[in-house]
Amino acid sequence: MKDKAFNRAILIWTGLVYAFLFLPIAVIVFMSFNANKYGALPYAFTTRWYVKLFTEDGLLAAAGLSFGFSLAAAFTAMILGTVTALGMRPLTPSWRGRYRRFISLPVVIPWLVQATSILMILNFIGWGRSYIGMFLGNTAVITPYVVMLTLGRFSDADDNTENAARTLGARPVRVFFDVTLPKLVPGILSGALMAFIMCFNSFCIQYYLAPFGVRTLPIEIFTLVRSGYTPDMNALAAVMALAAAGVALLLNKMGYSGKKLMNM
Amino acid sequence: MNFSLRTKKGHCLLLPSAAFFFCLSLIPLSMLVVFSFLDGNLNSDGSFPGFTAANYVRMFSKTMFARLMGRSLLIGLTVTLICVALAYPTAWGIAKVVREKNRNMLVMLAIVPFFTSQLLLIYAMMVILQSRGFLMSLMGWLGAADPSGSILYSLPAVVVVLVYEYLPYMILCLYASLEGIPDDLVQASRAMGAGRLETFVNIILPLSMPGLLSGIMLVLIPATGSFVEPGLVGGSGGMMIGSLINSQFNTVLDMGYGSALSFVFLVCLSLIMFMIRALSVKANRAIGGMA
Repeated sequence: MKDKAFNRAILIWTGLVYAFLFLPIAVIVFMSFNANKYGALPYAFTTRWYVKLFTEDGLLAAAGLSFGFSLAAAFTAMILGTVTALGMRPLTPSWRGRYRRFISLPVVIPWLVQATSILMILNFIGWGRSYIGMFLGNTAVITPYVVMLTLGRFSDADDNTENAARTLGARPVRVFFDVTLPKLVPGILSGALMAFIMCFNSFCIQYYLAPFGVRTLPIEIFTLVRSGYTPDMNALAAVMALAAAGVALLLNKMGYSGKKLMNM
Repeated sequence: MNFSLRTKKGHCLLLPSAAFFFCLSLIPLSMLVVFSFLDGNLNSDGSFPGFTAANYVRMFSKTMFARLMGRSLLIGLTVTLICVALAYPTAWGIAKVVREKNRNMLVMLAIVPFFTSQLLLIYAMMVILQSRGFLMSLMGWLGAADPSGSILYSLPAVVVVLVYEYLPYMILCLYASLEGIPDDLVQASRAMGAGRLETFVNIILPLSMPGLLSGIMLVLIPATGSFVEPGLVGGSGGMMIGSLINSQFNTVLDMGYGSALSFVFLVCLSLIMFMIRALSVKANRAIGGMA
């Protein structure tokens, strides 16, 4: 009986914490359909902020730029990350750990320090703020995710299938493409998806490394947030929260639950 | 015998990433030391205008740096403590109390903020906290506060926003290790007469220590180094060390001083990270690799 009361208290606590996490997002979504420009009540339903979002250029152009840029960075991270994971496989566990710590430096160190140090190096070699610098900096921050998720696929299954294929006469290249790679694909794709979304949202790196005057979506959002409440920001936030939920669902379907992602 | 391709040429595959991260992470971080002695900014062709120790003299002779560093660490610790307090019962609830089919959904929901833009999370919280916003109207209606007031643009607002941003990380880390604790262990402890508190201290806490420590690492480090949140919701009294570093690069444009600040800040955080890692190794050894 006492246990029951305790469990009920735990459930109420859990509910309150989730309310704290999602109420602000819910309010934003709710307000994105409110006609009043300053978010004041009474509530009048409208979709004009969404129409504005998708027809006026500011945010949409920035979103387009961010989308293309993140695609390029995520693709590069996918290739680099997969090759790295394959290379890390034969290492002994302790060396694998060391190498893992080395490549996840950009994730562990605060973004601000990471961004300032790369900016200084870029200034030093004369590139300064530039597309190539932003691209390299962002790729460095997202590649570790691809490596971790791909590496995780190795431990899920043992090498027996590969050895069997070899014993049955398949050439190493064939073993790689027919046995090893298919096993890795879910990890590679999930890693690339995660890399993409991380790059799409990575404000700090872009704030420091984007060429002057170039506005990616995070930079554009930053300028808008500084100016306070804007109804089309609400619409954008609603769309992006929905997209984030979609990504979480997709990763979950691919076998990456929250637990697995945190164990990286 | 191992037949696969990997044993022979495996190490070559590490070359691209080794070179990549060497150039984009190790070199920039170590060059910060060099740049920290820079007198002002680099010339436009990348050459050095001259070296000086003035950056360090300036940093340690005035109280500004020490004050902001101390305040940032304090904010980081406060945020981390609040996150632990909020997340521990929640993670336990998800791992052990809710029904199996709801568990997956709750974990998935906790991932969503991770994939949402940091700025939109800040914005959402700002809308909640603003004067005559959702929270203040509610407080006004309850008669607890004046609805036109707000905690926005103050230090507490920075803490609230940071907790909001980093709480999911803590929940997920704690959940990952609490979920691995076998139910029998807890039941056995209770059956043998240990109270709830005793079971928690002797069984649950040690077994969840690795998750707790990785959660602390994931919250403490970025929270201490934040500059966007103090800039947006901190007002004039909410400055943190990150704000000072950021202003050197974006408004004052004294990159030598900025690099010196960045470097000393990095050293402080590295010390904390090493401490957490050492504790983590110890905690893992104490539970013999379980969980």
